[in-house]
Amino acid sequence: MLKILIPTLMLLPTTWLSSPKWLWTTTTAQSLMIASLSLTWLKRSAEPGWLTLNSYLAIDPLSTPLLVLTCWLLPLMIMASQNHISPEPINRQRMYISLLISLQVFLIMAFGATEIILFYVMFEATLIPTLAIITRWGNQAERLNAGTYFLFYTLVGSLPLLIALLILQKDVGTLSMLLIQYSPPTLLPSWTNKIWWAACLLAFLVKMPLYGIHLWLPKAHVEAPIAGSMVLAAVLLKLGGYGMMRMVILLDPLTKELAYPFIILALWGAIMTGSTCLRQTDLKALIAYSSVSHMGLVVGGILIQTPWGFTGAIILMIAHGLVSSALFCLANTVYERTNTRTLLITRGMQTLLPLTATWWFIASLANLALPPFPNLTGEMAIMASLFYWSEWTLILTGLAALITIIYTMYMFMTTQWGPVPPSMNNIEPPHSREHLLISLHLIPILLLILKPELVWGWYY
Amino acid sequence: MVNLVNMLREHWVNVLVPLGFVIGIYMDRRNDEKLTAFRNKSMLYKRELKPGEVTWK
Amino acid sequence: MNPYVLMILISSLGIGTTLTFMSSHWLLAWMGLEINTLAIIPLMAQQHHPRAVEATTKYFLTQATAAAMILFASTTNAWMTGEWNIQQLSHSPSTTLVTFALALKIGLAPMHFWMPEVMQGLDLTTGLIMATWQKLAPFAIIYQISSTTNPTLLTTLGILSTLVGGWGGLNQTQLRKILAYSSIAHMGWMIIILQFMPKLTLLNLMIYIIMTSAMFMMFKYNNATKINYLTLTWSKSPVLATLTMPMLLSLGGLPPLTGFMPKWLILQELTKQNLAITASIMALATLLSLFFYLRLCYAMTLTLSPNTTNTSSTWRIKSPQMTMPLATISTLTIMLLPITPTIFSLIM
Repeated sequence: MLKILIPTLMLLPTTWLSSPKWLWTTTTAQSLMIASLSLTWLKRSAEPGWLTLNSYLAIDPLSTPLLVLTCWLLPLMIMASQNHISPEPINRQRMYISLLISLQVFLIMAFGATEIILFYVMFEATLIPTLAIITRWGNQAERLNAGTYFLFYTLVGSLPLLIALLILQKDVGTLSMLLIQYSPPTLLPSWTNKIWWAACLLAFLVKMPLYGIHLWLPKAHVEAPIAGSMVLAAVLLKLGGYGMMRMVILLDPLTKELAYPFIILALWGAIMTGSTCLRQTDLKALIAYSSVSHMGLVVGGILIQTPWGFTGAIILMIAHGLVSSALFCLANTVYERTNTRTLLITRGMQTLLPLTATWWFIASLANLALPPFPNLTGEMAIMASLFYWSEWTLILTGLAALITIIYTMYMFMTTQWGPVPPSMNNIEPPHSREHLLISLHLIPILLLILKPELVWGWYY
Repeated sequence: MVNLVNMLREHWVNVLVPLGFVIGIYMDRRNDEKLTAFRNKSMLYKRELKPGEVTWK
Repeated sequence: MNPYVLMILISSLGIGTTLTFMSSHWLLAWMGLEINTLAIIPLMAQQHHPRAVEATTKYFLTQATAAAMILFASTTNAWMTGEWNIQQLSHSPSTTLVTFALALKIGLAPMHFWMPEVMQGLDLTTGLIMATWQKLAPFAIIYQISSTTNPTLLTTLGILSTLVGGWGGLNQTQLRKILAYSSIAHMGWMIIILQFMPKLTLLNLMIYIIMTSAMFMMFKYNNATKINYLTLTWSKSPVLATLTMPMLLSLGGLPPLTGFMPKWLILQELTKQNLAITASIMALATLLSLFFYLRLCYAMTLTLSPNTTNTSSTWRIKSPQMTMPLATISTLTIMLLPITPTIFSLIM
């Protein structure tokens, strides 16, 4: 674990000591090297359980896909930001890259943590660089409001989590994930335990986000610059999912009854946010609400606590992370050229940016869960496990899948097909950097079609 | 020769991350030795290690 | 001010607090508190500005009332039990009265009303002394009477202070009032853990002193007394503007910064004592304070003010002020969380 963490930390002095001419190249190349090194974690050894064990950090089949996704995303974020940050003074560019790198460090430590309090501290620590990225480098005046919503929604959820973890420490004696799976607390259904159950999960449900408490997400995603949107969509939402999967092991058997309203809320939210997508005028808001919709399905898969549910949840998290990030990058290519995100203005892009239209096509197909993309594997597994729990959920999940297809096709058709509006007369052709960026997002998705077992979690 | 010196002066920062990697691998190995200090010590189940074998591989 | 007078006043300030630290007799402790108050009065009023004189008068009246209450309570206790030792304060009306008196001295709600107005009337250096040094002597006494205090009273004071400190600061634009309300909120945290683990009170006090000194020194560097004045920090010293954001978030108690350490340890102790609801209320009330710290972050670091100072190269000119203390203390404000076990064992 240290062989990835220490190089990531060394990226910080690299950023500040590079000459300005080589700053972006060096950081992109070095972070790409670290990302390739992190792929070694995907090798599954014969021993089950936790690998590369440290006193504080370890990896197991649940955290490995998320760690690899996080490490893979850093060079992509740096590549995506290169264009819009370059007008700024060199020290601000260095500051921006340092924020991305420090976010990366916190995320690696969060996903690799074996002690739940270390996970909590790193979970909260990721808020600070993200807040700085959204409010300092966002583009509209609403970004301050977005930062406030982001910080306070997450904190109101996570302070009860801290207290719940301290109560757990008092009752069980340890908070190490390695030990606590063998001695979970006995949970009788008293009111105190029910409130404790809710406190354990609330922070992650806010982060996922669950439908009723999702208001921070459209604001944060829309106002953030491209790297902020990418990391938010791809990784920070998955922190919530990962946390839930870790906590849910300890919360039996209360979860059997208490999860009921949350599963239904999540599935209903998937339909509602999908319907909102059909009426959106802002392209980034559309992708943001699509994230809420997919994450609603993930919440359902996790709370149902079956092997297929967990498998579906984690595959959907990885696949959605890559695809959502790719869609944000594609939206950014349009935004950098036209400085607008309005869907009705950014139409007919296929004639102007033909190869990007291919990427739009592949990303949209992945987003709407076309077989054989891993998004479908995830959705199918979750739908099947929910159907096994209750046949009526098929109506909700089927409707959610249908609405996903409709709004994704709507987004694709509106942005790519049709006549070009007369206002678009100086769209420069796509840069190789942008092609590289999106292909680096989509090639893992295509490869995962061939071997989804890499990201299946424990049930390989 | 002049080009080599200039290249070194411009690109020396690229050595920091691989240096970190080397330090990381070294510290991981030291940590493995620390964490497996109690392996292979049971009276009933211990066995003599082959030359060069470690207990955690 | 005449340097000899200044020397006498500052040394009296030190002597007063030290006298309270080392005393075990109530009268000696009271004397230390009074010397402290008397020494800081001329320091507060040294500018003879009407606002400063008003602040000085209010401060004197509240502190004198508090000291008189302490004297009254301790003599009552001596009359009823015959004990003058601070740690043997056993007569129950006396303990309650002493707790109220000390709460008035340090500015806990509901005895906090003097704090924002007094802080507003001082200049930043005297405000720094007021917020940090003046809290030490009362806390020495509070720590010593911790075993005999009324738990309900302490919990009420704590929760009320955190709520008042949060809500009161929301509408402020003057920085000294913001720091006064922040002080009230932090005092609430300190007082609530007193009944269970008094060492955590001292830990919280030390971390609070570090963070508040950093904030005051940073405001002094910018010579800023309102939020508007903070917006030009980026042209004066970009590094300071960047560093202030973690400093403010540390004051708000966000992990992984230093300010999280006392909150975490206090919440842990409260949950160990089965007071999870109290812990939740305290934790959520702190979010109110975090809102106005975040507003300061927005004004200072996260937005660029469209105006600049009159000179275009302010940042090239070295500041005549000493920056070493600010640098050290701001580093401490941000980076101390990983060595929590060391600090915890140092005070245990």
